[in-house]
Amino acid sequence: MLKDFFLLAARSITHRKMRSWLTVIGVFIGITAVVALISIGLGLERTIEEQVAKVFGVDTFMIMHEDTFGPQRHGGDPDEFTLDLAFLRSIDGVKVAAAVRERTGFIQGPPGNDGVSTQGFLPVMGLSPEMRTEFESFFGTLEVQAGGRLFGEGEELVAILGDEVVERLHASVGDTLVIAGDTDAELSFTIVGVLAPSEEDESDGGGFSGGMGPSQDTIYIPFETMDLLWGPAEDVLITLVRTEPGKDVDEVADRAEKALKARGSEVTAVTYTDITDTIGTMTSTISAFLAGIAGISLLVGGVGVMNTMFTSVLERTKEIGVMKAVGAKNSHVLTIFLIESGLMGLVGGIVGTLFGLGLSAVASSFIGRFFNVDLIVVASPTLIIITLLGSFFLGAFAGLWPARRAAKLPVVDALRYE
Amino acid sequence: MPLLDLKGITKEYKLGKTIVRALRGLDLNIEEGEIIAIMGPSGSGKSTLMHILGALDTPTGGTAILDGQDLQQLKERQLVTLRGKRIGFVFQTFNLIQTLSAQQNVELPMIFQGIRKGERARRAKELLSKVGLADRVRHRPNELSGGERQRVAIARALANDPEIILADEPTGNLDSESGAPILALLKKLSTDDGRTVIIVTHDPDATAIADRIVRLRDGCVVEEVRNA
Ligand SMILES: Nc1ncnc2c1ncn2[C@@H]1O[C@H](COP(=O)(O)OP(=O)(O)OP(=O)(O)O)[C@@H](O)[C@H]1O
Ligand SMILES: [Mg+2]
Repeated sequence: MLKDFFLLAARSITHRKMRSWLTVIGVFIGITAVVALISIGLGLERTIEEQVAKVFGVDTFMIMHEDTFGPQRHGGDPDEFTLDLAFLRSIDGVKVAAAVRERTGFIQGPPGNDGVSTQGFLPVMGLSPEMRTEFESFFGTLEVQAGGRLFGEGEELVAILGDEVVERLHASVGDTLVIAGDTDAELSFTIVGVLAPSEEDESDGGGFSGGMGPSQDTIYIPFETMDLLWGPAEDVLITLVRTEPGKDVDEVADRAEKALKARGSEVTAVTYTDITDTIGTMTSTISAFLAGIAGISLLVGGVGVMNTMFTSVLERTKEIGVMKAVGAKNSHVLTIFLIESGLMGLVGGIVGTLFGLGLSAVASSFIGRFFNVDLIVVASPTLIIITLLGSFFLGAFAGLWPARRAAKLPVVDALRYE
Repeated sequence: MPLLDLKGITKEYKLGKTIVRALRGLDLNIEEGEIIAIMGPSGSGKSTLMHILGALDTPTGGTAILDGQDLQQLKERQLVTLRGKRIGFVFQTFNLIQTLSAQQNVELPMIFQGIRKGERARRAKELLSKVGLADRVRHRPNELSGGERQRVAIARALANDPEIILADEPTGNLDSESGAPILALLKKLSTDDGRTVIIVTHDPDATAIADRIVRLRDGCVVEEVRNA
């Protein structure tokens, strides 16, 4: 019987093609907007997740100051925290740990031709060599110009200088440089390398290392050497930890966080899951908000359906009377009209989904080109099914009032209607 | 016991402050298998009476008994069943659904009774050939002549094999040439199938086929004539 009702409803829709199409357009514009926005949002989320995964790897977690990561704060310079790197390395499940700390040091360059050396304050960054060897994808590539080298594990009084520093100090590879720290200590460092001029920062797409990567106005020395100048690390910016194979990264991260906190470090351990969750919440909030705005156009589409259905009921008053006179129940009439309006919603939904996905593909390629990433286009079956069901019910809902009016028409009045 | 037994039927309509009395204490008995012509001037209440007989409307007062059942006591659901199964209505203006073919129009009452498609189609074709339209099943109403449309409407009225056929001026929109086969058809429904047929008509031809002629005026039966 329901199938016959579908046919009856479809007849009536196709009978007044023009008006039906106009009604459908009203729905389809709204659906297009909603589908496009949601699908772009999903694509964005998926893309970011993939980028994060590429940079991060699933066996890695970060340790940051507890205020740095979280909903209250995004971007900006990270807060510094205290860290006992050796202790962290001793925690069960930790395979490699590398950290970065930063201070401003008083620097004395090598003596120039006139015997006078350039002096000044410059940022000094203590860097675990593992940061480069193990976490290159995260930290960015650290490359030195020809003639120099990077420092490795176990080295102490060696330094790599940024391009700008070399220029200001008139130094070159092999020269000696003096750094003064807080502890009245003054140490001489051998310059072993000069940073290669960085290419365009964004070009490698590793946007996640932003700000943490090599900087040309900084002096890099081994992480542990910093202790000799400034004492135990209280100025760590970030720590990266790789877990042993087979260990649950979230578990190890949890353990590390608790152990470090117990020692007074105000840190939080951030895993891949934490980051993607945060990004997920962010992007879905944004896309829900945008889709909500687009939903207003759906409302307009719904009102359009309602209007058309009222006209349809009015036009077919006599027909309704006839159907009832030959034995239609009120519920039959109601169903037929609900199906009719639902079908208009559904057709709008089908067209809208197609256009919406198309629009999202086009928009994604534009956005992708603009930000120089390959945006993933998401045509999720769930989204499509929900949209189609939703558009049918939107139509049916909009038709509810007119359909009820049709169903309640007294037979005789309907038959007498001219 | 008569099939239909009307006693003191009144029907009033409120139009603003004035009350229109369409029926004013109408008494009428109709026996099973009878064919009856109802006549009367315009506004005398013929259509109103037909609507009450067809369970499409309820009287304001009086009692209407169909086959022992008091129509006023019936629930809406039972009235729906009544007009779906036991009563077939034929209208002056045919009232076919324009978007449906002749066959689909005939199938419509069966759809509401939940009859399966195959059975429906078979019966619709059978009925259409019974009214002489075997070669018109796929035609839309606007592709048929007035007489053909009314024959489709009669086939539709017969869809669920009702005992009572109510025809409100079935030839009113037809010339006598196309009206005659309609009347013949209605006559056959009574004589051959034993159905009760009630026809509202101004058509002198119709009075010839009726067993009984009932005249209305101002909402009352003023004359009943039995045809010889
Ligand atoms: N819904 C209504 N509201 C108010 N008055 C009505 C309504 N239906 C019928 N009437 C009145 O009831 C009276 C009887 O109407 P009815 O249609 O039964 O007449 P009829 O005998 O069928 O006339 P005709 O031969 O013109 O079809 C008329 O005066 C009409 O105006
Ligand atoms: Mg009338």
